[in-house]
Amino acid sequence: MSYFLTQVLNGLSFGLVLSLIAAGFAIVFTSTGVLNFAHGSVVLAGAYLVAVTQPTIGFWPAVLVGILGAALIGVLINALLVRNLADPNPGTAAILMLGVDILLLTELTRRIGNRVLPLGAPWGADVVRFGGISLPTGRVLAAVLAVVVFAGLWFMFSRTRVGIGMRAAAADGPTASLMGIRLSRTGATGWALAGVLAALAGIFLTSFPSPGVVPSVALSAFLAIPAWVLGGFDSVPGAVLGGLVIGLVTALTVGYERELHFLGAGFGEVVPYLVMIIVLLVRPQGLLGSKEAVRV
Amino acid sequence: MRKTRPALAAAAACLFAVTACSTTEPEAAGGGDSGDIETGSGVTDDTITIGVLTDLSGPFAAGAAVQVTQFQAFWDQVNADGGVCDRDVELQVQDHAYDPQKAVSLYRSMSSDIIALQQVLGGPTSAAVLPLADQDSMYAGGVGWASTALGYESNQLPGASYSIQGANAVDYLVDELGVAEGSSIGVVYFAGDYGADVLAGAQHAAEERGVEIIPQEITPATTDLSAQASALVQDGASAVILGAAPGQLASLAGVLASQGADIPIVGMNPTFNPALLDTPVADALLADTYSILSVAPYASDEPGVRAANELYEAADPDGAIGWEVPLASGQAQLLRTALEGACEAGDLTPEGVVAAMREGADVDTEGLFPDGLDYSTVGESPTRTVYVTKVSDTAEAGLELLETYEGPSAQSYTFG
Repeated sequence: MSYFLTQVLNGLSFGLVLSLIAAGFAIVFTSTGVLNFAHGSVVLAGAYLVAVTQPTIGFWPAVLVGILGAALIGVLINALLVRNLADPNPGTAAILMLGVDILLLTELTRRIGNRVLPLGAPWGADVVRFGGISLPTGRVLAAVLAVVVFAGLWFMFSRTRVGIGMRAAAADGPTASLMGIRLSRTGATGWALAGVLAALAGIFLTSFPSPGVVPSVALSAFLAIPAWVLGGFDSVPGAVLGGLVIGLVTALTVGYERELHFLGAGFGEVVPYLVMIIVLLVRPQGLLGSKEAVRV
Repeated sequence: MRKTRPALAAAAACLFAVTACSTTEPEAAGGGDSGDIETGSGVTDDTITIGVLTDLSGPFAAGAAVQVTQFQAFWDQVNADGGVCDRDVELQVQDHAYDPQKAVSLYRSMSSDIIALQQVLGGPTSAAVLPLADQDSMYAGGVGWASTALGYESNQLPGASYSIQGANAVDYLVDELGVAEGSSIGVVYFAGDYGADVLAGAQHAAEERGVEIIPQEITPATTDLSAQASALVQDGASAVILGAAPGQLASLAGVLASQGADIPIVGMNPTFNPALLDTPVADALLADTYSILSVAPYASDEPGVRAANELYEAADPDGAIGWEVPLASGQAQLLRTALEGACEAGDLTPEGVVAAMREGADVDTEGLFPDGLDYSTVGESPTRTVYVTKVSDTAEAGLELLETYEGPSAQSYTFG
């Protein structure tokens, strides 16, 4: 029983980290209509900034640098590339983002080189134990932080002018624009928010039980894509739910691989996509997506 | 009719392009008879050109750069000592960025200018290039250790294959680290030719030694091995063999230690990176982690390794150190032996280099590889001997050499 609970908690805590990334995908999509395939490199860039600045300025100020840096990268991608697209169609933007991803990732790979950059997180390799279950402290913190961040996002989107403006812009851009909402500002806010979420996720993806910042972290971010699609392209709560579902299903499939061996080796690697396909067959708009969402 | 004219024009243009290619001077890239020695592509009266297809801008750029530096330093040294066959050896380095399609194009464009390929870095890239190189009888070294490469006559594997590494890992666990008959050993491995080969070797050895294998397949995107480690602990694994990358080794060691599972981890050649000793899981790695290498570790005292390290430190004093340094020197040494063999046989052509390499039944690399590498049989691993190393914070590059080792299951493993 404690084994089952360990795997459930492993899955849910990792799922919340995936949710942070998936929510970033969803926010960029709703605010500017872009499928942001450069998001994985932004995750890596945030973690990289923390790792390179923490030896001189300490961990917590470095976290701030990482968050602001990732937000700035998001804002710059939006201001320099997305807003200047002659043909504002999701396909063109998606391919442009793949290009940005390759550029950013190549540069970060060159800078990181053969090293594994330690993040210097004060929780190190500590573990929280309770009732026969042990969970890395970093993961517990990630889960708590993610819940706080999602509560903050909910408050922002339902109670603040900025958030409501963003929702209006997402629902009907031209009308929102006529009502006095500046689409350039809601777009920039969306990209900045996604950058912040990416940096937070990057910090938890690169601290224990992962060794530190290595280029393959950008690949891990792609694990959040099924979570995003599963939740519905344009829904932040959907992305959170999607992350939890994917995290849980993956952990249980890997945890009970022996019992599930008839499904073939490595089933845990394909199960996120399998769940995504099954959900989309039953609910084409995703778990919480709106029906009009553009799908590619 | 209107539509056929442009089509005809295009066809004519294509034909022209094709014939234009075929009229290139065959002597432009060398070739022909010079003195008593027959020469072919990549050889002129005073130079021999060899190709390196590597990843300078993709995921393996950092380790690849170390090897390119070392190749260059090695051949500069050879040239300073008089070269090969009275000729200087020149490197033609091209970046495939880990893209198989690009690797194939680059191979096509360089194959008429080189006598041999010093390296094709990467699993998918070498899988794409090897069949072409084999068709052209072009020597291809440095393609990693997957058994799938052994079937190509023109390939020279730098030491024992992954399957032999995996089989030796089980033997070593049973004979030296106290894993009892009837216990189970976890194998966590990357999907693909690397991981599958490790698993095949381990499974063969497990049958021979009466232990059970618990396989756990992952991909390079899996950097958090919490779920896998918990499952292995739950299933009562007495040890874990890892066919993955350094990130996975750190995660696995850290999680196992946090769960109080005091069991040995044995990683295959690519799984260790000295930078891991600066991360929070350093203590877990120092406790009970081993690495099975096909090439001698950086900390080895063998003369070949010392010479390789000195060469590297002179070429790049601040460069990252690791097993890539002796590996690059070892690979260059293997190609040098083949080139010299071809020269002695009077056949300095790509075919001549492959023939000379296949005549090598007892190649000496001064301790860079195990003694007596044997390339005379296509489809066989050149050796069944590996280096067993343990993670250590006092050894250079973090790996202390324990012994050279050849277990009974590694000896009985059959290829094919």
